[in-house]
Amino acid sequence: MQLIIEIIQIPFMQRALLGSVMLASLLGLFGTFIVPRKLGFMADGIAHASLLGIAIGILLGGIPLVWAAAVAVVLGSILALVDDSSLVTHDSLIGVFLAGGMSAAIIIMSLTPGYKPELFSYLFGNILSITWPDIYLLTGFFFSALILFKYQWRTLVLTTIHRELSSVLGLRARATKYFLFVGTSVALIAGVKLLGIVLISALLIIPFTSANQVSHSLRSTIIVTQLFAISGSIAGIVLSYIFDLPTGPSVAIILVATFLITLVAAKVNEAPIWKHDHVEKN
Amino acid sequence: MPSITGQPLENIVECENLTVIRDSKEILCDASCCVPRHSLTFLVGENGSGKTTLVKTILGLLPKLAGEISINSEILTNSRAVVGYVPQSVDFPKQLQMTVTEYLKYTANIIPEEVEDTLARVDFPFTHAGRPITQLSGGQQQKLLLAAELARDPELLFLDEPLSNVDHSGEKHILDVILEIKNSGVTIVIITHDWQMVSSYADHVICLNKNFICDQPNSCICKNSISKVKIRQIQKLTPDPTDTHDGYCYVDNI
Repeated sequence: MQLIIEIIQIPFMQRALLGSVMLASLLGLFGTFIVPRKLGFMADGIAHASLLGIAIGILLGGIPLVWAAAVAVVLGSILALVDDSSLVTHDSLIGVFLAGGMSAAIIIMSLTPGYKPELFSYLFGNILSITWPDIYLLTGFFFSALILFKYQWRTLVLTTIHRELSSVLGLRARATKYFLFVGTSVALIAGVKLLGIVLISALLIIPFTSANQVSHSLRSTIIVTQLFAISGSIAGIVLSYIFDLPTGPSVAIILVATFLITLVAAKVNEAPIWKHDHVEKN
Repeated sequence: MPSITGQPLENIVECENLTVIRDSKEILCDASCCVPRHSLTFLVGENGSGKTTLVKTILGLLPKLAGEISINSEILTNSRAVVGYVPQSVDFPKQLQMTVTEYLKYTANIIPEEVEDTLARVDFPFTHAGRPITQLSGGQQQKLLLAAELARDPELLFLDEPLSNVDHSGEKHILDVILEIKNSGVTIVIITHDWQMVSSYADHVICLNKNFICDQPNSCICKNSISKVKIRQIQKLTPDPTDTHDGYCYVDNI
């Protein structure tokens, strides 16, 4: 208990914990609609390609993550735009983004004179680099996204479950798709300082995938996803502080461990754990 | 309000000179057809003749290259609220768990207290209300889709082979439900290969066929892969009724 009190009194830990709760919650929500569309690879693609923005930021000056966010918004919009095209699949396009973005970033880095110590923290995260202005920005994005989620919720669910019906119902599927793709892209970049480009996809994919092993309704899946994402992030940060470990990998390892446990639990039970959300009558 | 053709409105759906291309292949070419209001209309034809494409184009799910579509004499986008659609099957994503109750809530705004009655209408067991929709059989999924669409109280309902996954005992119940809602004033369009059902219940037939033969001015033989049926009173002839070629014949009052 004494340790917990000590941790939450440290300013950088306060920022890290606050930021991680908001990020975990957001990426958990976005993951709920991204992963069932078989777009989990999008997280890796967008995050890695955004290194191009960071490289431009380091070369030209300014805040590298703002450049990265700009790149992510453009790439997310392109993904939303080509969704209906049969010529290029999402998977292929994401692969192109990843290879193109990373390659361009490395070339730009090689042209930038001097040592770039900050690069490592963008790749693997560094909670010491999270500032209060970062938290204020994240808070604004978090609540804006929550409001949009509230208004787009039914369309998000129906376009994921039964896309044709959502069109028949006249729901605004296109606007929702842009919100999902661009929102996810920005959320991924917002998490770069915490988990890094290499590991940020863990928060988008693993909590939802773990929750899906042990839930059988949309409601329980969303609740359990939030539980796993937030508790996993907090546990990873606290453990990294206690044992002096890198934060990003600590969070990712906790999430992976959760996934393995839920996988075993689901196999052992052969049926979802939370299987009685609805009272059944004879 | 007049229809596209300027005739007095008696059809809930009118398609004029519809051309649809998918994957560089012309599926529908200059096709025209109508669905009379309050009718039970069957859409028949060989596999690949464009039945589902026609329905999806009418619903706005597929783009058309040319032609006009009106539903209820209004522009399509303004009329969607009254249209229901039950596809032959839906590939629900296995990664997102959703219960039967949740599906009804999101698709038709059904509150939990109304779930039992909604499911009973299509003979769907209420004991499955808490089950994930991905764990239902094909027939159960089809019944659930129909239950949700009926709950939305559509004026016009498209059903793509509604009995294809339903077991024999369930067929009669679904047919009774279809006839009941038709008698209550709902216009129903059914895609089917079941000619027995067509001959027993149809008010109107739209026949899409790659190879059709109109051997007399007032009759048409519409072929499908398993049988032939003679249909009286051709509503609209093809340019050359004696020729055998890709095209469509539209028939009325079988």
